[in-house]
Amino acid sequence: MTVAREAIYLPALCLTVTLIGGLRPGGPTVLPPPSLFSLVLAVLLLGVLIQSGALAPRRLLDASRSSLQNLNGVVLLGTVFLAAAQTFSLLTPESGLPRVLFGIYFLVLLVSTWAAASDRIRVLRSLAVTFGAAFILKFIVLDALSEPTAGRLGRVLQLLLEGVTLGAVTQAVQHPASGYLAFFTLVLFLLALALLPARAGGSSSAQGMVVRDY
Amino acid sequence: MAYHGDMGETAVRGAGLVMTLTYAALVGWLYARQPATIAEITGGLSAAVGAYHVDRDAFDNGLRYFRNDQFVEARAALERADPARRDPRTQFYIGYSYYRQGWGRLYSDDTLYRQGLEAAERARTLAPEERFVADDPSQHIHTADELAAELESGLRREPADFNPLRILRERK
Repeated sequence: MTVAREAIYLPALCLTVTLIGGLRPGGPTVLPPPSLFSLVLAVLLLGVLIQSGALAPRRLLDASRSSLQNLNGVVLLGTVFLAAAQTFSLLTPESGLPRVLFGIYFLVLLVSTWAAASDRIRVLRSLAVTFGAAFILKFIVLDALSEPTAGRLGRVLQLLLEGVTLGAVTQAVQHPASGYLAFFTLVLFLLALALLPARAGGSSSAQGMVVRDY
Repeated sequence: MAYHGDMGETAVRGAGLVMTLTYAALVGWLYARQPATIAEITGGLSAAVGAYHVDRDAFDNGLRYFRNDQFVEARAALERADPARRDPRTQFYIGYSYYRQGWGRLYSDDTLYRQGLEAAERARTLAPEERFVADDPSQHIHTADELAAELESGLRREPADFNPLRILRERK
C-alpha cells in the first residue's frame, strides 16, 4: 500500500462515506448520527475484516513504525469504523419491524461470516452481497410498499398490507435522492474496504495458524 | 506513487494527517450544526471565521414590512437578509412576525406559533450569553426570552384560555 493511499485517499474516502451516508434529504434531521446498534455492527465488521485478512492492523499500527506512521494508522482505523457505522445506519430502515429484522440480519450474517473464517476475497464478496441485498430491500422493496400509490388497486393492497402487519412494515416516504445517495455511498464504502491494507496472502487466521505450525 | 526519501514520506503523511483531521472536523461540525441548506453551511463556515454579514438593505425592508403588519413579506426579506440563520436580531424579528401573524383575540395559530418559537430559540442561542435585547421602544416585546415565553404560553392549553375577558387583551 502506498503512503498516499494510507494517509490521504483512504481516510478521505471513509470520511466521505460518513458524510454522504448520513445525509437524509428532506428529513426532520438532515444528518442523524449512527445508531448505537450500528456502532456494535461496525465493531463486528472490523473484527471480520481483521480475521479474514482484508484488514491487517499490523500494517497500520506496529512498534516498528514511527509515531507519525502509527498516527496515520489510528486515523485510518477510526475513519473506517465511522464509515462502517454510518453504512449500517444508512441501510437499516428508520422504524418498525423492518428495523429490528435488518438489525438481526446484519448481526447474524456478520457472526456467521466470522465463524466461517473465510478469506479476504470471500468476505469482500459476502459483504457486497449483504449490503447489496439490504440496499434493494430498503430502497426499492420497502420504498415501493410505503409509497402512496395513485391507483385504487395499489391503495387497497397497501391498506391490506398495513392491516395485516398492523402498520409495522410501512416506512416514512423518502426523498427521491435518498436511494441514489445510498447507492453512491455503498459503492464508495465497498471500494474503501477493497483498498484496505490486507494481510500478505489474505488468508484466514485458521490457514495462517496451519502455516506457522509447519 | 513511490516515495524514496524519508522527507517525502513524512511530508505526505503529515499533509494527510492535517487534511484528514480538517475534513473530520468539518464532518463533525456538520453533524453538530445540522444545516438544512447550502446557505446555512456557507454562512456557518464564514461566521466561524468572522466573515458573515447580514444584508442591511434586506433587513431594513423586512423591518419596514414588519411594522406595516405585512408579515409574509417581512419574513421573505428577513430570510433574504440572513440566509444562514446566524444573526440573532434577524431571527428575533422573524419569530416576532410569526407571533403577530398568528395572534388572535379568540385563539392563536399553533403552526405559526411553533415556527415563531423555533426562530425565537435560534435568536436566543445565537445571542451573546444567550440574551438578546431589541432596542426598539415602539414594540412591546424586547427580548428573545419574552418572545419565547409569549409563544409558549400561546401554545399551552390552560383554563385561562376559556376566560371570556380574553377578547379584551392586546397584541404585543
